Amino acid sequence: MSNAYLTYAAKRLGQAVVVILLAYVFTFVVVSILPGDPITSVLRNPQNGFSEEEIAEIIAAQGLDKPIAVQLWNSLSGFLTGDLGVSMRSGRPVSTLIAEVLPSTLILASTGLAVAIILAMAVAYGTQFVPKRYGQGLLRGFPSLFLSVPNFVIGLVLIHVFGFQIGLFRVINPDSFWATLFAAIALGIPVSAQIAEVLIANLDREAEQEYAAVARSRGIGRARLFATHLLKPASLPVVTVVALTIGELLGGSLITETVFGRTGIGSLVQRSVSTQDLPVLQAVVSLGAVVFVIVNLIADLLYPLLDPRVKILGGKKRTPTTADEVSINTTKAVAS
Amino acid sequence: MSFVTTSVISGSRSRAWLSAFRVPPTVAISFLVVAIVIAWSLAPGLFTQYSPVVGIPADKLLGPNLNHWFGTDHLGRDVYARVVYGTASSVSSALVAVVIGVVAGGLVGLLAGFFGGWLDIVLARLVDVLLAIPKFLLAVIVVTAIGFETINAAIATGVSAVAIFARVTRAEVIKTRQATFVEAAFLSGGSRSFILWRHILPNASRSVLPLAVLQFGESILVIASLAFLGYGDPPPASDWGLLISIGKDYLKWPWLVYAPAFITILTVLSVNRISRWLRKTD
Amino acid sequence: MASQNRLTNTLIHAITVPPSPQPVKPLLQVDGLSVSYGRQEVVRGVGFELGRGKSLALIGESGSGKSTIARAVLRLLPSGASASGQLTFEGQDLLALPERRFRPLRGRAIGFVPQDPGNALNPVRTIGAQAMEAAALTEEPSAAIRKALILETFSQVGLENPQRVYDSYPHQLSGGMLQRVLIGLAVLPRPALLVADEPTSALDVTIQKRILDLLSRLQSDLDISLLLITHDLAIAAERTDSLVVLKNGVVQETGRTSAVFSSPNSAYARKLHADVPALNPDRYARLRDPALRLRNAGEAPKIDVSSVTKTFTVDGKVLTAVNDVSFAVPAGTTHALVGESGSGKTTTIRLLLGLEEPDHGEISVAGERLSGRSPQSLRSAWRHLQLVYQNPFTSLDPTWSVENLVREPLDRFKIGSPKERAQQVREALANVGLGEHLLARKPSALSGGQRQRVAIARSLVLKPDVIVLDEPTSALDVSVQADIVEVLLSLQAKLGLTYIFVSHDLALVRQLAHTVSVMQRGSIVEHGAVADIFSNPQHPYTATLLQSIPSGVTASVPAVPQKSRHILREERIA
Repeated sequence: MSNAYLTYAAKRLGQAVVVILLAYVFTFVVVSILPGDPITSVLRNPQNGFSEEEIAEIIAAQGLDKPIAVQLWNSLSGFLTGDLGVSMRSGRPVSTLIAEVLPSTLILASTGLAVAIILAMAVAYGTQFVPKRYGQGLLRGFPSLFLSVPNFVIGLVLIHVFGFQIGLFRVINPDSFWATLFAAIALGIPVSAQIAEVLIANLDREAEQEYAAVARSRGIGRARLFATHLLKPASLPVVTVVALTIGELLGGSLITETVFGRTGIGSLVQRSVSTQDLPVLQAVVSLGAVVFVIVNLIADLLYPLLDPRVKILGGKKRTPTTADEVSINTTKAVAS
Repeated sequence: MSFVTTSVISGSRSRAWLSAFRVPPTVAISFLVVAIVIAWSLAPGLFTQYSPVVGIPADKLLGPNLNHWFGTDHLGRDVYARVVYGTASSVSSALVAVVIGVVAGGLVGLLAGFFGGWLDIVLARLVDVLLAIPKFLLAVIVVTAIGFETINAAIATGVSAVAIFARVTRAEVIKTRQATFVEAAFLSGGSRSFILWRHILPNASRSVLPLAVLQFGESILVIASLAFLGYGDPPPASDWGLLISIGKDYLKWPWLVYAPAFITILTVLSVNRISRWLRKTD
Repeated sequence: MASQNRLTNTLIHAITVPPSPQPVKPLLQVDGLSVSYGRQEVVRGVGFELGRGKSLALIGESGSGKSTIARAVLRLLPSGASASGQLTFEGQDLLALPERRFRPLRGRAIGFVPQDPGNALNPVRTIGAQAMEAAALTEEPSAAIRKALILETFSQVGLENPQRVYDSYPHQLSGGMLQRVLIGLAVLPRPALLVADEPTSALDVTIQKRILDLLSRLQSDLDISLLLITHDLAIAAERTDSLVVLKNGVVQETGRTSAVFSSPNSAYARKLHADVPALNPDRYARLRDPALRLRNAGEAPKIDVSSVTKTFTVDGKVLTAVNDVSFAVPAGTTHALVGESGSGKTTTIRLLLGLEEPDHGEISVAGERLSGRSPQSLRSAWRHLQLVYQNPFTSLDPTWSVENLVREPLDRFKIGSPKERAQQVREALANVGLGEHLLARKPSALSGGQRQRVAIARSLVLKPDVIVLDEPTSALDVSVQADIVEVLLSLQAKLGLTYIFVSHDLALVRQLAHTVSVMQRGSIVEHGAVADIFSNPQHPYTATLLQSIPSGVTASVPAVPQKSRHILREERIA
């Protein structure tokens, strides 16, 4: 661990904290300032049957009568101490509500990520080996096709084919192994399309580099060229891409859970949206931002350790521009 | 060295015509699809004689046939007519989203990239914040705050795309600002504002255009997802996402899902193909 | 001890090339070779032969197909290319061999030295890991001996600290060192043929000469045949036995190098010969010399740079880019700034244009001080002081038409009526030899030479007194370079322009400049009249630069002392 790396890490960590705090403030502002005062409209909705006294009580309990800046301060300090507030609809702590559904979503999202990565690698590496006449084009078309398919459609097709036609799983039992697996596939396919697209582009670019030709001039065969030369430089930058797709996984699980009838963060968001339960929404969105920022922070900190090209100079990631920049003195080397 | 591979198309005349415009056949087909979709949204009545709202109960749940290309739904409405009439809000709302993303994001990126300094630091942090919130969740809370309507869904989608346009535009502007020809323009006596508008903006926007087209396709998907969850216009509107959402309760009659899904996929696929082509020809 | 003996044996075995059984037959014979990319034929019916231990140069400008031929010999053509004809190597037709049977020849029988050493090694693997691939071709079973072989080869190609090089990543070495590594790896398996594709064009001049010396030495020491691809006729003349001149994929002339060089038969070879600056020092004398005679001895210099210093702080370290630099240029003459990359010549001209502020010292152009000016008043200075950039592919806005590009300075400085401006644009284009049919074109529809002419027209249109030329021809082919130089010198003769000409090419400077400053590491080590400096260099660095100019005279490869010639033998290892 060099000094420069630690400086870089500290700087990135500081940035991450600032971004998380600002993201919290931003969500707060969106849910409380934008037009259409959802709070009173929900509370006054006759269907909910709150009396005026109860409404006043709730408003006081939530601190909704205070100025917006005070509300923000209370909410933010609660967030920092791990208190996510109380659900407006059920009156239960938001953290409890989230803790109940989190495991199910974690299982779905992590399986989905695994599916996405495995599928992306299979497709991308396949393009380098499957000959043109045996369907390389199909593999190359995979990313653009699945970036054009809404992920709820993938889910519905899987349910229709494997649930209804083949009968591999029942929709009424969404937590069974097969149902979970197919939900993860539906969630993972669009994400894998994104990863595969970058991976294929990287592999093609590396294969065209001069060093690949020079390596082949040393008698290296295609398979070895791929394994020892192209794989690493093409795959390393994908670490960053995978981290960026975390947001996609979180958003996608919202839809996938609806399609497959699963309980999870997604269904919690759905319910909170329809009842305008703002504290829950605020908490879930902020946590989404926290997860995203942390995962990307890890990727950023990991990357310079994996890729020798990236040198940390002056607290910034930077690739040396010329070979001469870091050259070992060559002048004396030649005494002819 | 790169080689353009074009798939074989029949007829030497059409090939000559296409090569005159240097358009690969798949791109030509994509433009055709987009043209049809735009025509549907402008004048849906020209493409079907059925009503998208009133159905004939006796004809309910018919499979695709010559009279009803995409079959009929549980109320006996023609699915093709519902898809055609749903185009306007599905596609034009995506256009609204792209315009919001490009204009707001582009402006932020342009200012941050050209002026640099503290303005850049502040704007870049704000963009980081927007990027940190998962896009779909951001769209969901924005549409929740401003109300469930297709146009609001479009605004929410646009807001969720601001960050990415700001980031790309900023990067492009910084890259262009450092280009030799920009310094050359200074040496030719150009003022800062002249160089910003006449040299940097045209060059930076060259790579933003394919991204805007790509975002158009993605906006169609996001708005369809919001409609699927019921955050768009309520029935009897027939947004593509809503059609699929209704169809999912009738999976025994799969064309209710497959027909609108097919049109959605075909449209987005075509838009994405055009975007790729723009990026390559640049 | 045992392993040392094995190492010795291997090395001795490696260096003893078995005598060729049929010395009559050429090692490589090319007949009717054609290569096309899609429908475009880039090499047409090329034929030549290369004897064992001999060297042959394929020479031509960009688009001549010379690199394509090199790749065809190695069967490394991109996937869209197809080759026909015969490539006979040691009796086998290379094009007819299946890949499975050709692959064992790569590296073992045919070695390859690429053009740009900076991209020729995998950036995420150590040099050692990649060297092992080459060492594996020797069939030596012991990894330790293979590694020793690599280290010996590294020191043989002049790398001082082989172990350190072995452990390095490519980005940690300079371009010259990387090219030594690549040459070492190519010769390590002792191939019979070495294909070198412009092995020095990405390197500085002094390094160029050392690399070429190394190649020549290895070729004669190890009895390797050399196929050298180059654009430089002088280099080809110095280093090879026979010559193939190519243009647009077709052979223009072949023969013994000395014969082709001294009396070229084809028109193209003659033009090529005439366009190489090193071979024609007085080519532009008639255009250049009158300027000297016209000048008044007592007149104040047009450009006066005195004791200018500029430092930059990079990553906390202070770098002195320009150190106490002074020079003066009389009106109507050309002053050349010469140096290798990193010598500070680019920073000097940026200071001269006011794009950077000097830390110390003063610069004045036409009697006006440039340093310490506001952007507004700098703008008025640029009215009379223009710059032509090195790379015409980046210095013209790709979204603008030629007409607007050339007109832009007139519009910005608000000179004349719109009608007059249109007229001046046409004049400026005519001055650089471009027709009006190009007015509506975008830069992407122009050739490199045309682009640079547009850039020159753009700087001329203001009728400035001084034009700074930053390596204006280094991105162009020699024949295009000759045209551009001709244009520049006629304009100077006609309009009395003062030029600052930045270049790394001493031979070019000798052709066109009146005075010269030689820069090294930010300082001017020598300056004076071109004729004096070239005939009698005082500073050793200037002398080294001068010696690095390929002269076309067969290089007397520095006689390698017996000791280092047998560097791989016992005494070294023991």
